[in-house]
Amino acid sequence: MTEKAPPSTDRRAEHGSLARELVAQMGDFTWHRVGEMVIDNFERNLPKLTSGQSLAKLRDVSVGQGDGAIILAAGPSIHRQKPLEKILAAGFKGALIATESSMAYCLRNDVVPDLVVTTDPHSDRIVRWFGDPDLTSEKLAQDDYFRRQDMDEKFADEIKTNELLLDKVNTHGKDIKIALATTSSQAVVDRVLDSGMQIFWWSPLVDDPDLPNSRSRDMFKRCRMPAMNAGGNVGAAAWMMADAVLGKKHVALTGIDFGYYGDTPYRNTQYYHEALDLVGEDRLDEVYIHIYNPYLETWFYTDPAYAWYREIFLEMVQDADCETYNCTEGGILFGDGIHFVSLDSFLTDHA
Amino acid sequence: MDILKGNFKTKKTVEAPNDEDADDLETRFERDALKRLGGSIAFVSKKRVEWDLDEK
Repeated sequence: MTEKAPPSTDRRAEHGSLARELVAQMGDFTWHRVGEMVIDNFERNLPKLTSGQSLAKLRDVSVGQGDGAIILAAGPSIHRQKPLEKILAAGFKGALIATESSMAYCLRNDVVPDLVVTTDPHSDRIVRWFGDPDLTSEKLAQDDYFRRQDMDEKFADEIKTNELLLDKVNTHGKDIKIALATTSSQAVVDRVLDSGMQIFWWSPLVDDPDLPNSRSRDMFKRCRMPAMNAGGNVGAAAWMMADAVLGKKHVALTGIDFGYYGDTPYRNTQYYHEALDLVGEDRLDEVYIHIYNPYLETWFYTDPAYAWYREIFLEMVQDADCETYNCTEGGILFGDGIHFVSLDSFLTDHA
Repeated sequence: MDILKGNFKTKKTVEAPNDEDADDLETRFERDALKRLGGSIAFVSKKRVEWDLDEK
C-alpha cells in the first residue's frame, strides 16, 4: 500500500473541510478525552501535594534574569532550526522555560532550563519525556506515538533514548524547577518526586470558575493551588507561565509550530490513527487544513487539535501583558498580537 | 434466500438488525474516534491565573 501524502501545492487550499467543522467542537472533544483522567489524577495526587510548593511561591523565586523569556517546545521545527544552539551562542540570560516534551532536547545539550512545565494528564505517554522507569518492549509495541512523529527525532530509538533520559533526569532533577499540574498522571508525579525536582503545583482551569458548581473552583477549595488557563496544550501553558506568573515582558516562542511541514506524510502526524478511524485512508485530506505562512512563504498543514490550539493562542495573546515573539521559524502561529521574527533577531534585542 | 424463507420455525423469536442499529454502531465508532481527536487539556476563554477562588 502506498502511503497517503498531503496533496500537491495547487490543490492544498481545497482540503480540510471536515477539520474546519471539528475545530469548533474541540473543547468538547478535549473534555471527553481527558476529563476522566483529570479528575482521577487530581484525586490520586491530593495526598502528594505536601511535597513541593504552590505555584504562587514561584513569583518569589528568580527565574532567569531581566524581563525576557524563551519558551522551548518540541514542535518539528526544533530539529530543523536548532534553537538551543542560537540561544547558547547569544549568551541569553533571560528565563528559559521548557515544556516537558523539550526537556530531553535541553538536557542532551547540557542545558538545564530555568523552569519546566507539564500539563497533559495522559496516563503513560507524558512520563516518556522524563524517562519512563517502567518502559518495556511490550509497552512500545502497543503505542507508536513517539517513534511515528516528526518531533524529537531521538525518540525514534526509544529504548536507548529512554535509558539516557532516565540518567539525565536523575542527575539534574534536583536542579530543575517544575510547574507540575495537580492533574498530572501518577507516573509523571512519581517520576518528578523520585528525581528530586523542585515542585510548584498548579491546577489547570477545566471550566469557568465563575459558574455554579465549577469543577475548577472545587479543585481549588480542596488543594489551595492556583488555577491557570493552560490554553489547551503545554506550549500555551508555558507561555502563560512566562506572562501571567513570572511577569516577563518579552516572551519568545520556539518549537511551537502547531502544524507540520508540507512534505510530512500524514502517518507522521499526532492523530493519524484517529483520523484514519474517522474517515479512512481515501478521505484523509478532509481532516487536515493546509495553511500558507506568508512570513516564510511556505505551506504547512495542521490537524483539528493544532488548529484549535492556534485559535486559542490568538485569543489569549489579546489579553497578555507581554509582547509575544514567535521565533519558531516554522508552522502556522501568526496573526494579531504576535511578532513573527527570527530567533536571531529576538536574541539581538533581548539577550 | 427465497428458497429458505418461511420453510422452518425458530425456537426463539429472531429480530433482524435494522438500519437504525447499523447507524448507531457507525455513529458510536465515529463518536469514539472524534473523542480521541481532543487536545491535551481544557481551555477557558478570557481567563489567565486565578490565585484565590475563595471569593467566587
